[in-house]
Amino acid sequence: MSQKIKNLLLLVGVIAMSSLLFTACQDDDTGGDDPVDPTDCIKHSTNITADETWTADQCHILAGRISVEAGASLTIMPGTVIKGEAGTGPNATALVIARGAKLMAEGTAAAPIIFTSIADEISTTDITAGNFASPNLDPDINGLWGGLIVLGNATISASNDNDEDVSEVQIEGIPTSDTNGLYGGNDDTDNSGVITYVSVRHGGSNIGEGNEINGITLGGVGSGTTIDNVEVVANQDDGIEWFGGTVSVTNAVVWNAGDDAIDTDQAWAGTLDNFVVITPTNSCFELDGPEGTYVARHTITNGSVVAGNISADASLIDTDNSTPVDMSNVHFLAPLKNDNDAWLTFTDDELDNTTFSNITFEVTQAELGNLMEDGTNGLPVGILNGSTPQADVSGFNWTWASRGGALNGL
Amino acid sequence: MKHFIVFTFVMLTSLIAFAEDGIVRGTLIDDETGEPLMYANVLVEELGTGTVTDLDGMLSLELPSGTYTLKLSYVGYQDLTIETVEVKNGEINVLGDIRMKEAGGVGLEEVVVQAKAIRTTEGAIMSIKKKSPAMLDGISSSLIKLTGDANAVEAAKRVTGVSIEGGKYVYVRGLGDRYSKTTLNSVDIPGLDPDRNSIQMDIFPTALMNNLIVSKNFTADMPADFTGGLLNIETKDFPEEKIVSASISLGYNPAMNLNSDFLTYKGGSTDFLGFDDGSRSLPTGADAAIVPTPISAITGQYTEQEVNNFVSGFDPNMASEKRTSFLDYSASVSLGNQIQLGQENEGEQDKGTLGYIFSLSYKNDYTYYDDIFYGEYQRLSDNNIYELNYANTQEGQIGEHSVLVGLLGGIAYKKAASKYRLTAMHLQNGEKRAGAFDIDNNGDAVGQSGFVALSNNQEYNQRSLTNLLINGTHKFGKTWELDWRLSPTLSTSNDPDIRRAAFSGSSSLVSPGEGGNPSRIWRSLSEFNQVVKTDLTKSYKFINRKAKLKFGGLYTFKERDYEILQFDVQFFGGSQEFPTGNFNDILAPEVIYPTGNVYIQSGNISPNPNAYNSTASNAALYLSNEAEVLPNLNVILGLRAEKYVQRHTGRDILFAQGNNGNNLDKEKVLDALDLFPSANLIYSLSEDMNIRAAFSRTIARPSFKELSFAQIIDPLSSRIFNGSLFTYPDWDGNLEETRINNFDLRWELFQSGGQMFSVSGFYKTFDKPIELVRIPTQQTGSEFQPRNVGDGQLYGVELEARKSLAFIATSLQNLSFNMNVTLVESQIEMTDTEFNSRQNFEREGEVIEQTRDMAGQAPFVVNAGLTYQNPTAGINAGLFYNIKGQTLEIISSGLYPDVYLQPFNSLNFTFNKRLGEDQKTTLDFKVSNILNDNMERIFSSYNAEDQVFSRFNPGISFSVGLSHQF
Repeated sequence: MSQKIKNLLLLVGVIAMSSLLFTACQDDDTGGDDPVDPTDCIKHSTNITADETWTADQCHILAGRISVEAGASLTIMPGTVIKGEAGTGPNATALVIARGAKLMAEGTAAAPIIFTSIADEISTTDITAGNFASPNLDPDINGLWGGLIVLGNATISASNDNDEDVSEVQIEGIPTSDTNGLYGGNDDTDNSGVITYVSVRHGGSNIGEGNEINGITLGGVGSGTTIDNVEVVANQDDGIEWFGGTVSVTNAVVWNAGDDAIDTDQAWAGTLDNFVVITPTNSCFELDGPEGTYVARHTITNGSVVAGNISADASLIDTDNSTPVDMSNVHFLAPLKNDNDAWLTFTDDELDNTTFSNITFEVTQAELGNLMEDGTNGLPVGILNGSTPQADVSGFNWTWASRGGALNGL
Repeated sequence: MKHFIVFTFVMLTSLIAFAEDGIVRGTLIDDETGEPLMYANVLVEELGTGTVTDLDGMLSLELPSGTYTLKLSYVGYQDLTIETVEVKNGEINVLGDIRMKEAGGVGLEEVVVQAKAIRTTEGAIMSIKKKSPAMLDGISSSLIKLTGDANAVEAAKRVTGVSIEGGKYVYVRGLGDRYSKTTLNSVDIPGLDPDRNSIQMDIFPTALMNNLIVSKNFTADMPADFTGGLLNIETKDFPEEKIVSASISLGYNPAMNLNSDFLTYKGGSTDFLGFDDGSRSLPTGADAAIVPTPISAITGQYTEQEVNNFVSGFDPNMASEKRTSFLDYSASVSLGNQIQLGQENEGEQDKGTLGYIFSLSYKNDYTYYDDIFYGEYQRLSDNNIYELNYANTQEGQIGEHSVLVGLLGGIAYKKAASKYRLTAMHLQNGEKRAGAFDIDNNGDAVGQSGFVALSNNQEYNQRSLTNLLINGTHKFGKTWELDWRLSPTLSTSNDPDIRRAAFSGSSSLVSPGEGGNPSRIWRSLSEFNQVVKTDLTKSYKFINRKAKLKFGGLYTFKERDYEILQFDVQFFGGSQEFPTGNFNDILAPEVIYPTGNVYIQSGNISPNPNAYNSTASNAALYLSNEAEVLPNLNVILGLRAEKYVQRHTGRDILFAQGNNGNNLDKEKVLDALDLFPSANLIYSLSEDMNIRAAFSRTIARPSFKELSFAQIIDPLSSRIFNGSLFTYPDWDGNLEETRINNFDLRWELFQSGGQMFSVSGFYKTFDKPIELVRIPTQQTGSEFQPRNVGDGQLYGVELEARKSLAFIATSLQNLSFNMNVTLVESQIEMTDTEFNSRQNFEREGEVIEQTRDMAGQAPFVVNAGLTYQNPTAGINAGLFYNIKGQTLEIISSGLYPDVYLQPFNSLNFTFNKRLGEDQKTTLDFKVSNILNDNMERIFSSYNAEDQVFSRFNPGISFSVGLSHQF
């Protein structure tokens, strides 16, 4: 302000000349303080534009929204711990695999790769010692950083078709000004790399109202990509969300998602096979259909679901008008009532394009009808009462969910 | 401070300045041009003494009480005799504007008028308009007195082709915000709303205004960055008589005042003065790069107690609460006078004249909408389905309490051929807002998650404007005039602590994926403007006819600082449910970490991508010549050059995060030298009839915000604004100015008593107009960016009539009708992106063309009024109607259809009556929005029922006022 007053005085002084006067008052930017980081960590603050490998001997910090740009490949060695700095809104951190880039994150059952928050004290030493659970954070603490976002060139069914009838849109959680957030194309066999034995924890930063980053976001990811043995723990938004694409996911665990556990959009054309969902508050399956003219079906099979006290407007299974999905061999464990003794609904009344086969609920035959949101339509074919979990959890011993006892009885 | 002492001194002396004589004052003007006539001779016939008019054309005579005849003479003009000029002890007889006609033609016989007949009601404004070089419309202080308009907005809506938006913004000929400009005393003042080019006019009380002029075409002595209209407010300098007046008014709107449902929240102790007392200021430590959170406590930067202290530093009030609203009320006092320093007797030195004005006004308004609605609607992908599908709706209540304090002090001094003026103005406005909404989000819609929620929000918008004007006018001989102005302005607009929270479902759950995290936002803007302006005018003869050469320069420097800081309430595990459903529980002590699980995370990075500093300088030179080249043909040719440089300091999020992003440090984002030619032809068909033709080139420049990397999320609608510097596959990040060619043609007829009739036609071409474009790749939210779109053009017709109804019957002579109608056809070429995204959603049977209406351009504007004026009974009454045609506001992205502002039928009634023998007390009564119309914006799609984008009902309001002249 004093600078401005000076300028003002200067002007008053010169006015008698009533001539043109040039002034400038510019402030200098003051730099911010850099946080002190653990000394054994590498801080990644710039996009990855050439092939790079992150090794397990050091922990890795995501200092912002880091994109692996088209043409580059990021390799993460087994047992590596990646920690996102804290933040919200523009300050949210995430790892984005852009279209045309690859993530080679091939962990093993003995040395999984862990994406977590900077607040998590877990280290490579813990992993080497076989301790995969967080030493200091509870498995319900979410929203501490963003998440893992993988984007590809496979077909999506979005409402933004270009001339060549190819849809391309911006992934939720990244503003459109960052074009690394675009996904969708026409290469259904596109390969975004390999993601195996990866656990993503405590993520889901908010970047705007109702706009958070999912644990694992798969936007237009092609079938050439391998995703097997993944776990999402305590994500503030959805656990795993597919936006179109053709990628299949096998052996997945979603534990304590803040929003939907499994979310599909824009005509995903892949299969989710062998999975466990343990969800405390919201929909287990939020299954949406195409948003453009392109239509494709996805398959969800061999799963076990433990539903918590989900909110009143959420459902166990929530389909859109005519969501093209085939669900088979999924079991929902008891109890299927919430605190208010209300039955948890399992589906919308629009089921024209949805097929169910051996979807079982741990209730009596008489109680089965109580689950239906709109009882007048009657039970769809394939909805049964039963008591046998469907997921094969024998290979899930590497997950925090398993180590934490959340898979007991499944 | 120093000038305040002088001012106080002058005020005190004025109280004892009255002798036993009386004073006669009046202003001598050219009947055709309205320009003051300096050094005219004034003779008091009875006494044989006299005076000369000063540089304002003002005559001032101190005479013993009695009745006199004044003889006025001026070289080249017909002599004028004013009879029956009454002078009473201790009183001032103000004659008003005295018109003198040029000699020639008809003969040199003298004109005789009666003193009382001089003060015609609309004389002042007509004098400005009749033969002025530019097409002008305006409102004088005498007309404002007559209509009882309280602020500049109310006054402005009487001007031809003007429409008012949101009760605050004034637009001309239906052109949008971008093409309008407002100046104060002919110098730039910054707009307070970063989202607008225009300035909210409701903050200017009419008590401070001398007149309000709207110029509809450009002449070289005006700034070139307007196209629709240039609105100038001139503040008072030399009051013609001593003013000591006070007024109060009370307003009542049944839906808003004395309403027990009115929403508000606990604010600060100085809210009633229009500013925050500091209780909403940013909590200590909130601007740190890393704030105290459980996370930074784990990493060892802070203790858990520090986390608790930090969160406790935020005001825990997040609930909008019901309190009964009071009546609207306002009060103002005005003082003013002019004082003759020393006698003007022969041999005695002329010590000049001092004028002063002081005004203080205070206004308190309550606005409450009990059924306000915001909607987002989409088209479906199946092109056989026409009806729109809702994506999100918000329905609820908003309460708003606005306080406006206006302070104006001015001192002016004139002596011989020089005049100096110093005016200081401060406006302080505080708006406290609280809302509550039911949100319904449709999971079946594209990009929506599907939920119901209840939200509460609170805001405080604090705006201020401090302006200083130093102005000098000098006449050299009879032909040269120099006018210089220096005017610094500081304006601020701060939103300290915007609060928002939402509970999802019936369980009062904070669900980040649904209603979102509770948030707190601090937004601040300050802008400093300095303007130096010099105008030189030389009057001369061109083939024995009047001519005038005008030239000068202007230098403007503007600097704006803008910053947003945002914070989210987060939960460190555990429950996110608040069983009582009270929003104040969110930050209750027992839930704050580490006692509970609530903490606050910063969304701010250092350097902040949501902060910028921009500067703009504009150096202008112009030359303009006005000459009657042929008898009755006045030609004004001008050329203006403007060198405009805008610099920006800002960065994008990627850079701020340490990534390979964009950063600008005082870099030039705009640098252009433009020439603006203008030609105005005025052909006088007769003394009262003109034909005007005009051509000019003008410009519309991008704003500071538009030429930035700012990424601004609107806290209520979640819509995101992206600065134009971001590049996209179909946008190169290079936003350019819009250059406009303007063609105007007008026929006008002036009749006695302020009656007039005019017909105008206009045509404008726009090179690369800027519009706010919705970004189609964004599916889960709404993002917009200002971009140059295809070329545009518009043409229109304007009709204006002011007619006394005396022609029907003489008994109706006090009734007059005025009406103006503007019809506009506009067209713009779509960009390929827009055309493609529209085609994607082409409905069965719909034909998408490559052109559409210009955004923000209304197809028609109608103002109509019926006024009754009875000076002898002291009664003035008027009924005014205003409507603006359906206007495209937000351009479709395919998925979301076009949004239109619907016509609003505004019908208002005013009545005032002067009371008492000396008519010094005025009682006025007003009714607004008599038709009780809704303000509505709609989504419009082919063959589909319109859906509401936003809707609220301003209700009918009544107000009663009392003012007294002491």
